[in-house]
Amino acid sequence: MTETDLQAAVRAYGAGRHYRAATLERWLALAAADAAALLDLAQDCRLGENQLRDLWEWLSDIAARERLTLAAVLALDAVAAARRQPVGRNDRLRLVKSALRRLRYPQLSALEDRMTDLLRGLDLPRNVQLTLPDFLEGDAVHIEIVATDPDSLRAAAECLARAADSPACRELFALLGEAP
Amino acid sequence: MSRWMPESVWLGRSEEASPLAQRVLARVGPTPVYIVDDTAVAEPAGDFSAGKRRLVLQPHRGTFLHHCPAGTTGMVCCNYLVLNFASNCPFDCSYCFLQDYLANNPAIKAFTNPGDGLDEIDAILKAKPDRTFRIGTGELADSLALDHLTDLSCELVPFFAARPNALLELKTKSDCIDNLLGLDPKDRVVVSWSVSPPALIAADEPGTIPLEARAAAARRVQAAGYTIGFHFDPLIAHDGWEANYRAAIETIFRHLDTRRIAWVSLGSLRMTPRLKSLIRDRPQPASVLATELVPGPDGKERVWRGMRVKMYRQLLAWLREVDPQMPVYICMEPATVWERVVGHVPADRELAQRLVAARA
Repeated sequence: MTETDLQAAVRAYGAGRHYRAATLERWLALAAADAAALLDLAQDCRLGENQLRDLWEWLSDIAARERLTLAAVLALDAVAAARRQPVGRNDRLRLVKSALRRLRYPQLSALEDRMTDLLRGLDLPRNVQLTLPDFLEGDAVHIEIVATDPDSLRAAAECLARAADSPACRELFALLGEAP
Repeated sequence: MSRWMPESVWLGRSEEASPLAQRVLARVGPTPVYIVDDTAVAEPAGDFSAGKRRLVLQPHRGTFLHHCPAGTTGMVCCNYLVLNFASNCPFDCSYCFLQDYLANNPAIKAFTNPGDGLDEIDAILKAKPDRTFRIGTGELADSLALDHLTDLSCELVPFFAARPNALLELKTKSDCIDNLLGLDPKDRVVVSWSVSPPALIAADEPGTIPLEARAAAARRVQAAGYTIGFHFDPLIAHDGWEANYRAAIETIFRHLDTRRIAWVSLGSLRMTPRLKSLIRDRPQPASVLATELVPGPDGKERVWRGMRVKMYRQLLAWLREVDPQMPVYICMEPATVWERVVGHVPADRELAQRLVAARA
C-alpha cells in the first residue's frame, strides 16, 4: 500500500466510525508502518475510537519501554497469537486486550495470575463471588453471597470461614498489601 | 555549575523600576530585553520548551499563598502552604506536572512584587500566632534556580528568620546557594533537594545538578546553619530500583548531620492522563512511561499500590538505618497506604505539627 493509499484508508476507516479529526491526524502522523499496523488492528477488531485509543496507549507504553515500534509490538508472538484465534470479533478484541495488558503490566499480571490461583484454591462455592480490586489498587476484596434461604447462607458463610483460615487466603491478603 | 540564563527577557513596562527587575537586568548581560506593555506577548503558544528559555518579569496579581494541592480529598495531608514568587522552571524534568499545568503559559516568570507576597504572609502569621506554618516556594517553580538573577532569597530568609511561627522551605534541584551562605536563617528556613538515583537524573532531569552535587550543596548549606530536607519524589519503579535508591541514600546522607534534617518525604510518581500524553510527545523518550502505572481513585496514575507500599517500606527502612529518628512522611497517599507503611495514620494536624517540630 502506498503512503497515499494508507492515508486514504485511515481517513475512510475513521470517517466510517466517526473518529475525531484530532485522532486521525495523530494516527496519520505516525510512521507509515505503525499507521498501517494500527489500521490492520482496527479493521481486524472493528475498533471504535475509544477502543483504539486505549489499545494505542498501551502499545505506546510498551513500545517506549521495549524500544520497539508500534508495528513491532503488534507483531510480537503474544499479540499475533491472540489475533489468529478463530473466534468472533468481541472475543478477539478481548484476547488482544488481554495480551497487550500482560505486556503493559508484566509484574502486575504475574501477581494477578498468582492471586487467581490462590482464589481457586479457596474452593469457594458458586454462590460466593470474591472480587479483587481493579489493578489491585486497594487492599480490600469484595465478597458477594447469593443466598436463597438460611441454609444456603449458612453454608456459604461456613465455606468462607474455612477459606479465611487457609494459607492461600493469608497469602492472598499479603499480596494485596505489598508486592512480593 | 553553570547558572541558567534566559535567551530573552520580557519586562512589563510598569515594572522597569522594580528592584527585582533592576537586579535581573544588571545580570543578564547581552541577553535581549524586550520592554512591553503586556507580557502576554512573551508566551510562546504551544511551545513549552521555548517558554523555558524566556524570562518574564511582571507583577503577580492575586494571592501569593495557597494550600498545597496535594491535600486532595482522601489523601493524608501535611497542611503545607505554597507561596508562588515565580512560575515555571528552567529545568526540564520529563515527569514534571508543570508541562500540563502551565501548558498555556509556559514562559518562566519571576514576579516583581515579592513584597506584596511577604505582606500577605505577614498578615496571616500575625492573625494566627499560635499556629506554625510550613510554607514552600517550590511548587510552581524551583525555589533557587533563578536566585543568581533575582536575589529573592535575600528577602525571604531574613523575613522568615524574624518570624517565630513559620518555616520556609526552599526546594531545589540546583546548587544556587551562594546567597544563602551569607544569611542567618535562625532555624526558620529549610533548604531541600529532590533525590533521584544518578541514572534517573541523567535520563529524566535535564539541566539539574547531579546527585553528588546536591549532596555537596546540602552539606554546605547545613554547615551555614540551615536545616535540610530531602524529597524522594517522584519515586520511580525501574529495574534495579532497590540498589539505585539505596546508593542514592548513602550518597546523600554520607556527610550530613542527620540531627539537622527537618524532613524527608516519599512520594510515588503520579501523573494525569494528559501529562502522560505530553510526556509521550517529548522529543526524547522518557523512561518514566515504562513503569506499570495504573489509574487511581483520584484520576491520577501511579505505580500499582502493592509496589508503592513495597518501595515506601524499603526506603523507610534504609532511612531509619541512617537515623532511627529520621522524620519521614509520605506525600499524596491515602490512609490505607500510610497504615501499611508506617503502621498508623496520623491526623493531618498531627502530621503538620510533627514536621514543624525543630530537630536542633
